[in-house]
Amino acid sequence: MNNDVQQRVLKAIAEVLERKETEIRLDASLRDDLAFDSLKQMTLFILLEDEFQRTITPDEVMGVVTVKDIIGFIDRKLQEPAPT
Amino acid sequence: MNRRVVITGAGVVGSIGTGVDEFWRHCLQAKSVVAPIPANWEHYAALHSRVWSPLPDIDPEYLGVARTERLQLDPGSVLAIGAAREAFERAGFSLVPDAKNSRVFTLAGVDAARIGVYLGTGIGGAYSFLHNHTHHLSQRARATLKAYAETRAPAQDRETLDGVLALMAHGPRYHPFVVSMLMPNASSAAVAIKFSLTGPNVTYCVACASGTVAVGNAYRAVRDGCVDVAVSGGCEYLNDEHGHIFRGFDIAGTLVRNCADPEAANRPFDEQRSGFLFSQGGAAVLVLEDLEHAQRRGATIMAELIGFAETFDAHSMMSLAPGGEQIERVLRTALADAGVGVHEVDYINAHGTGTKNNDETEAEIIDRVFGKSVRVNSTKSLVGHTIGASGAIEILVTALSLRDQTTHICRNLDAPLRDLNFVRAVEQFDLRVALSQSFAFGGHNAAVVLRRFS
Repeated sequence: MNNDVQQRVLKAIAEVLERKETEIRLDASLRDDLAFDSLKQMTLFILLEDEFQRTITPDEVMGVVTVKDIIGFIDRKLQEPAPT
Repeated sequence: MNRRVVITGAGVVGSIGTGVDEFWRHCLQAKSVVAPIPANWEHYAALHSRVWSPLPDIDPEYLGVARTERLQLDPGSVLAIGAAREAFERAGFSLVPDAKNSRVFTLAGVDAARIGVYLGTGIGGAYSFLHNHTHHLSQRARATLKAYAETRAPAQDRETLDGVLALMAHGPRYHPFVVSMLMPNASSAAVAIKFSLTGPNVTYCVACASGTVAVGNAYRAVRDGCVDVAVSGGCEYLNDEHGHIFRGFDIAGTLVRNCADPEAANRPFDEQRSGFLFSQGGAAVLVLEDLEHAQRRGATIMAELIGFAETFDAHSMMSLAPGGEQIERVLRTALADAGVGVHEVDYINAHGTGTKNNDETEAEIIDRVFGKSVRVNSTKSLVGHTIGASGAIEILVTALSLRDQTTHICRNLDAPLRDLNFVRAVEQFDLRVALSQSFAFGGHNAAVVLRRFS
């Protein structure tokens, strides 16, 4: 797992939740542990689109459950060519 | 119930300044910001007007809106929140962060259910609509064309295709919050959510009169006891990546044409006027308050609102009715509502757009109703036209003029179209009663009467 990606994802999650990055556990469930509702989830993925300059469609993140899942997802997205 | 209504706070964002102090200082210095329009706008259309009045880079601290909030709001709503925040602080309200969400505030010591929000906008979230519409229309077509250009297009066509691809540029996403960003009521909703206000919440969409109509109705709500405090004003964001909105006003022939000397292009009430100066946008928010409520809090009072009226031309979507019968009626009705006579009015902040038709009709009516002694200026001669925000900005300028017993000049007025007492120098004068008036596409007329507080 890319440490730089992990830090940037944690920072985005902390920004949406208004919490400290150190309070976000990697195995935390977005919905059950971090109380993400659908609007917060959309906000997070927009932030991540801006942060990593990749397009994220709702279908792509259907299976994302934990913080670690997001980091893995972004890792994979970064293997794709950047949009021009 | 007929309560006295006073202005206890204000906030403003405009091309000539952010915050009341800077904005007013620049008004009195006759500052105006006029710049060439973005170069890429001319790739899409042959435009007649070539200048606009852009907003400055605005300090995010002033706006008090976090990045995650800005992602979900049209820029017009963000400007409204910034102006509202300043207005509350100037009114002396304590903004307390919510325990669960520190980006949301409550106003300490007041009943949130007795605070109403009354904001005006002419075009709502048009920026958000156009930004997303461009993505919707271009994204797949551009991707297909790009793939063709890169793989199969003849080499000699590549330059042309690259030019077309550049014209099809669009934002990175079709925004999942687009509906709540573009709906016209988003601005008043956003302000009330930000400051946890649960009283009446209304957006007035009356083109160039939106801000005046919003403040006027807020005045009535406080006067009649519906609310104790009203957050009122107007906001507008007229920018978009491709110049759609500018083109709409340009093709209608409403914008300044004589752009060779940008500094001299915008000249309301001057014989050489050629249209209005298109502004990137702005917002002004006033805190109106029941006088007794304000005095119990020990608030500082800027001015008093004493009258309001609205009329409608029922004549043309885009032209003032010849003779201005309904404009005269709106002025006389507002003065009757205020209980003052025409000879008591010391100063008029005119609609003063700089278009041939508006200024001629407006000057004729001022002459007919008030005569030649009343002082007249046009804040649009400095700020340009902010459409739905303009009325609120001008009511703020009128209130500040009453507070400080002075006002700004009518800029670029070299050859007045009529012999009226246009403000030509910043000087102290005895200013007791003032009037701010707006006329709008559609045929809406509105006027607000203010008085020096004593």
